[in-house]
Amino acid sequence: MVAILQAVFSGLALGGIYALVALGFNITHSTTKTLNFGQGELLAAGTVIAVSGVMLLAGKGMHGTLDPQDVTLWRYAVSLLISVVVLGLLGVLLYYTAVRPFIGLGGLSWVMSTLGFGIIIQNTALAIWGPSAMVIPSPLGDNVIRIGGAGVLPQEILVVAASVVVMLCLDTVMRKTKIGKAVRAVAHNKNAATLMGINVPAVVVLAFAISSSLAGLAGLLIAPITTASVFMGLSIALKAFSAAIVGGLNNARGCMLGGFLLGLVESMVGLWHAELREISIFMLIILVLVLKPEGLLGTRVAEKV
Amino acid sequence: MSAFSNPKSVAVALAVSLCGLVSAVHAQDIKIGYNADQSASGTAELGTAGRWAFEAAIEDLNKAGGILGRKVVGIIRDDLGAPPKSIQIMNELIDNEKVDAVVGSANSGNALAWLHIPQQKKVPVMVSIATATEITRRYAKEPQNYLFRVSMVDREQVALLVAYAVKASKGQKIAILADSTGYGQGGARDATEVLALHNVKPVLVEKYGPKDTDMTSQLTKIREAGADTVIIYGIADGSGHVLRSMEKIDYLPTTLGTWGNLSSLLPRIAGSKLAEHLILAASTTEDSNAKAKALGERVRKNFPTLTTFACSAQTYDSVMLLAAAMKLANSTDGEKVAAALEQVSGVQGVIKTYDKPFSKTDHEGLGVADFYLARWKGSSVVRYQDAITRSITPADLKR
Repeated sequence: MVAILQAVFSGLALGGIYALVALGFNITHSTTKTLNFGQGELLAAGTVIAVSGVMLLAGKGMHGTLDPQDVTLWRYAVSLLISVVVLGLLGVLLYYTAVRPFIGLGGLSWVMSTLGFGIIIQNTALAIWGPSAMVIPSPLGDNVIRIGGAGVLPQEILVVAASVVVMLCLDTVMRKTKIGKAVRAVAHNKNAATLMGINVPAVVVLAFAISSSLAGLAGLLIAPITTASVFMGLSIALKAFSAAIVGGLNNARGCMLGGFLLGLVESMVGLWHAELREISIFMLIILVLVLKPEGLLGTRVAEKV
Repeated sequence: MSAFSNPKSVAVALAVSLCGLVSAVHAQDIKIGYNADQSASGTAELGTAGRWAFEAAIEDLNKAGGILGRKVVGIIRDDLGAPPKSIQIMNELIDNEKVDAVVGSANSGNALAWLHIPQQKKVPVMVSIATATEITRRYAKEPQNYLFRVSMVDREQVALLVAYAVKASKGQKIAILADSTGYGQGGARDATEVLALHNVKPVLVEKYGPKDTDMTSQLTKIREAGADTVIIYGIADGSGHVLRSMEKIDYLPTTLGTWGNLSSLLPRIAGSKLAEHLILAASTTEDSNAKAKALGERVRKNFPTLTTFACSAQTYDSVMLLAAAMKLANSTDGEKVAAALEQVSGVQGVIKTYDKPFSKTDHEGLGVADFYLARWKGSSVVRYQDAITRSITPADLKR
């Protein structure tokens, strides 16, 4: 019983990260019908930027080692903010260089260009930070909290709480505010949105900025659990993309559901046979694609020719 | 107008003559390559510790007049912990740089990936860090095995860890948790075989991915199997995450780990309190003699955060053994040097004086008699002793 509870906690923490990144895929997809395949590299870049931010704030230089007392909550928060802003700007850059030139052209040029953008970011980060993993202690300490006999790290609770809060905020903004309505209008029909006086390019740029910032946020949240490295992004982004597919790429709530679902499946299967984790996840994806290609909560879009 | 009034032609002439000079000098030099991860994986600290000792050894050799009156040049490469990169470097060192010998590989998986290259091209290799048992054994039946080692050896450290585990466990409930790389799985196999020599069957053998950070599910199963002693077979980052997961599920059995846990990644990931829980196999320490202390200080000048001194000492001694063999063979020919390595004796190293360390069938410079158990204490590793370590006799060290 305790073992299952333990797996649920691990799964939720992992799922929160997948959900955040999956949400990033949803935002750009619903506004431009494109995805940033370099999302994982952006996530890694955001993380190493934030870890360096903490080091610089602690007066340790760029390549120091962080002791637990160096990572205070405010240093963590300030670095998080820096990384979210830098990532937002990178998102804008990504849009203008790798997405905008190809929108509406048909074909899949943007797949290659966003992949390429990600690789450029990764190699730049590699040149600056090098390939080794950076250890960042959690700002909340490493004392295990016991819930029903199962152990949870404070950072894991922070991951789940922060991702749920961010998702609820985004969900409210999207459904209740004018700007959210504008985003949804653009997603629904660009031409009609333009005719209604919505600044479509601005909305689209915003979508890319938010999408990238979410990756940066996810990265720093998970770094104290996994360690930070330039290569940490790919597997997270791949799972997050899978989560978006399972939940429904065009439905924000579906992406969140998919994220948590995948996290839980991964840790539950691990309880049984560690080596079957990845297999079971991708089996689930294939199954969902066969039975409900639009994803669990996705809506089928009739392509008009 | 003479040719030399034109500055361009002067430059060209100068460059041409310099090139000639440089290659002439190079033909005289003895080249030794160093191929190990110094930046990427959990073994980077081990590779870096080796690298500076490698340079120190070459400096010392040159100060003493080089080898056979020729200058020694070290060629240092970083394989980033990636087997394909390591293979590429090995080819480059042997084919392009034409090295006379190679020292290196911090990762066993990398060494196992390129073993065939120096063996086929007859270039002696001194493995000074990687520990996989198979490294010196794969070509042991060939007329000449070109792979030698001065390092911890998996089979030997397993002998020590298992001897401790069998005595520490009540009711012989021992589990093995290994990472899924070639290194971890090879170690798990060694541990299972050595346990069998003690007539013990592990209660469970589990594995984790090298990038995993949550091993609670594997550990839960190990706990349910009733294990009170766990042997972790992995490098420092993986072991660190295992210790963290142990704390999470409130399960702290007697935990034994490998020599790779000398890397400071272990206390940095697990925290110093948890890191102290792990008992690990060690080969040599800085305080063992004056030579070791001096080498430690020299390496620390370039690498102030050194915690993996054993790698420095082993790499230093590896270079010295190669030099002794070249002198004995009176040649740098790979075949002759490899044969001479099996004959060298009385070589003064940092760890010990090597009296006939290698034979035709045994290419291990160090053995279980040179090893002991250790534990992290704050920011350094200290020798670990308790009633069980004191009761271990040579007969217990089955292998």
